[in-house]
Amino acid sequence: MIQVFYSSPWVPPEWIKAHGLEPRGIWFAGDLAPLPLAAGVCAFAEAVVRLAEAHPDSAMIFSTHCDQLRRGFDVVTVAAVEHAFLFNLPATWQTGVAEQIFASELERLGRFLVKLGGQPPTVEALADIMARYRQARSRLLKAAAHLPARQYCEAVARFHWDGSVHLPEKAQPAGANAIPLAIVGGPLPTWQGNVLDAIESAGGRVVLNATEAGERSLGRAFSPNRAPVAACTLPDLLRLLTRSFLDDCVDVFQRPNTRLYGWLEERLAARKVRAIVLWHYVGCDLWRAEAQPLREAFGLPVLLLDSQGAAGDAPRQSGRIEAFLESLR
Amino acid sequence: MSTAPRKLTLDEWDARYAELKRAGLREPFYGGSLRRHVLLDSDLRLRHLRFDSSMASLRLWNFLLTENERLAQARAQGGKIVGTMKDLGTVPVMAYSLAGVRAFYPDGAWWTPCLMECSDGLLQQSETFGIDGSFCPVRAMLAAFQNGEHFPQPDLLICSSGAVCDDFSAIAQRLEKMGFPIVWWEMPRRREPEPGETACALPGNLKAPQIQVECVRAELARLGKVLGEMAGLPLESGALAEGIHEANRVRRLLAALRQVAYGSPGAPLPALEMLVAEMLAIHFCSDRQETIEVLSGLLAEAEERLRRGHCIIPEEAVRVFWVNPVADLRAMNLLEEWGGRVCGSDYMFGHALELIPEDLPPLEALARTALADPMVGPTMDRARRIAADCRAYRAEAVVVSRIPGASHCAREGAIICQFVRKELGLPAIELEIPPICDAMLPTLSSRVQGLLETARAGR
Repeated sequence: MIQVFYSSPWVPPEWIKAHGLEPRGIWFAGDLAPLPLAAGVCAFAEAVVRLAEAHPDSAMIFSTHCDQLRRGFDVVTVAAVEHAFLFNLPATWQTGVAEQIFASELERLGRFLVKLGGQPPTVEALADIMARYRQARSRLLKAAAHLPARQYCEAVARFHWDGSVHLPEKAQPAGANAIPLAIVGGPLPTWQGNVLDAIESAGGRVVLNATEAGERSLGRAFSPNRAPVAACTLPDLLRLLTRSFLDDCVDVFQRPNTRLYGWLEERLAARKVRAIVLWHYVGCDLWRAEAQPLREAFGLPVLLLDSQGAAGDAPRQSGRIEAFLESLR
Repeated sequence: MSTAPRKLTLDEWDARYAELKRAGLREPFYGGSLRRHVLLDSDLRLRHLRFDSSMASLRLWNFLLTENERLAQARAQGGKIVGTMKDLGTVPVMAYSLAGVRAFYPDGAWWTPCLMECSDGLLQQSETFGIDGSFCPVRAMLAAFQNGEHFPQPDLLICSSGAVCDDFSAIAQRLEKMGFPIVWWEMPRRREPEPGETACALPGNLKAPQIQVECVRAELARLGKVLGEMAGLPLESGALAEGIHEANRVRRLLAALRQVAYGSPGAPLPALEMLVAEMLAIHFCSDRQETIEVLSGLLAEAEERLRRGHCIIPEEAVRVFWVNPVADLRAMNLLEEWGGRVCGSDYMFGHALELIPEDLPPLEALARTALADPMVGPTMDRARRIAADCRAYRAEAVVVSRIPGASHCAREGAIICQFVRKELGLPAIELEIPPICDAMLPTLSSRVQGLLETARAGR
């Protein structure tokens, strides 16, 4: 079965699955590894480009939510990578135009998937898959508070990879005296999960993973009143999917990005977060620009932790994390 | 009065200005010597630039450098001011269709650190808002908004989002969090129509699916309403049609000027003045009628020089196609000093140079033109257009100038350079030009001269 990689959690995997193809959220991809970079290029965007080039039999869905990925798509089309698709994610969400763009992109993606060999979804199949994904997101959301950071990160990434939920029966939470932190920011693929280990070994406890494919990507379990019902037609389900994703999307690229702040505010307070680690790739302007607004909005210390996607990042990152946590004690 | 053209230093312009005054020079209300911009506004960079010697160019520079004063005057007279960001050429056409409304680009503050040789402190102040040197120099606008010294606070701020540069979008978002409310509008990333989709022709021989045109048209209609509410009178279709007609007068003049300046064997006007002239297209430097006068003057000067065989850059100069505007204006002088000349340009707002269709409903026409923005579509579309223009203007080399920290520069330069090399066999390089490039002169010089030598060898 053809794998369809997707690079934003706001591209609905259930739509891909309903076409009989395998959605693969790239945050779990084993070969999304460090690479040599040209000046100014984001390591993550470059890894996505290389992943697309390395898997000619699979498809890659880029999205417009960041300039580097949008232009990464330009790179693969120049290189004649055949199975690439650019999903136009609207930055605004408040207008009918945003909804129209998202809905029409879903339809266009559907045509792309059929061209790849997928089948147009039936109402029953789509409703069933939407319900399953919704349930999976709910389970993961419930587990957010008590799983150790690395395990939670991997569980969510795994869900984005194949739709499954694997939660350990007995979780070993970090020490009660550890400092509760939130990690907020861009993509944190599983191969960079050592950052989470570093936080916990330095005496921190990640109680909120608000990176791209973390808890934030699960929305609000896609609102309970949006469960597909038996009488739905395919256009009804598509509308439901569109509204769910547009309403539940909380991300830095949105304009204005007030929903991200609203989402964070609620959780930072509820989980008594004492500091924020702002995780981003070098070259990611969208996240980097939020360091000061995050400090101002929540009155919490913020550590900028960047990555060039290189193996040599780890010692520098560990050093910064240790110093940050030490200063919080 | 057309004499043999020369390039003048600021000191030489002082002498020439005095001479012109004695000869009875008549100037518009914003006229005066160039020196006063150094003395009164601390535009220190002018001391290191070389200027064209014509009166038409003097008028151009004075027009450019008095924008802040003219905006303040308009405000004092009860006019409304719209700050429009990122779309480079679309919203101003709407704003100027309303009586008493002017639009300008706060983005333009990106040149202030260059003009003031960083004595303004804008870049350093922007760091205090958390926007450091890893961002594009457009971050200067944050501090400019905060200190209110470089442009009046607009009555309304509008910014496009979606298919825009991340650095710009992040800076604009920062601005909003600093307490400057923004009306955001969506610009989808332009794509080719797919089989089964209705295709719409866009200016610049581009195409987009109808659904994208419809979305942009709906967004512009929303903006029209907001602009009308601010102005206290609705933006009627007839007024917009008239606004488009006037914008097209500017665009026709620029097209003629570019043809004369870039198409001739020697250059009748220098690259620096041409860059400034092209920039007038995007918001008319806050005065649409005066833009028409300034461009008419430049065109007349260029035509007259060609008639007399007076070129400011000789025919032997290497014909260079220049991509992206430069953060330091001096770079345009340097290219010519090192033996090149600009014979074509893509300063990121090609859509603002295209005629807006006048045979379509006005909002539809504007939506199609907005979608033709080279920065919202595939980089290959831009590369193809550049290659076509290189052919048309017989370019011998291509320079893609990188804007420090700009997200689009990470990828586009390589794609464009690779395409022109492959399609046209032209040498192409990328150059990063910071707001003050003096410290980089040895590197820039060796790279540009290497390019020019390669091009000459290919003759």
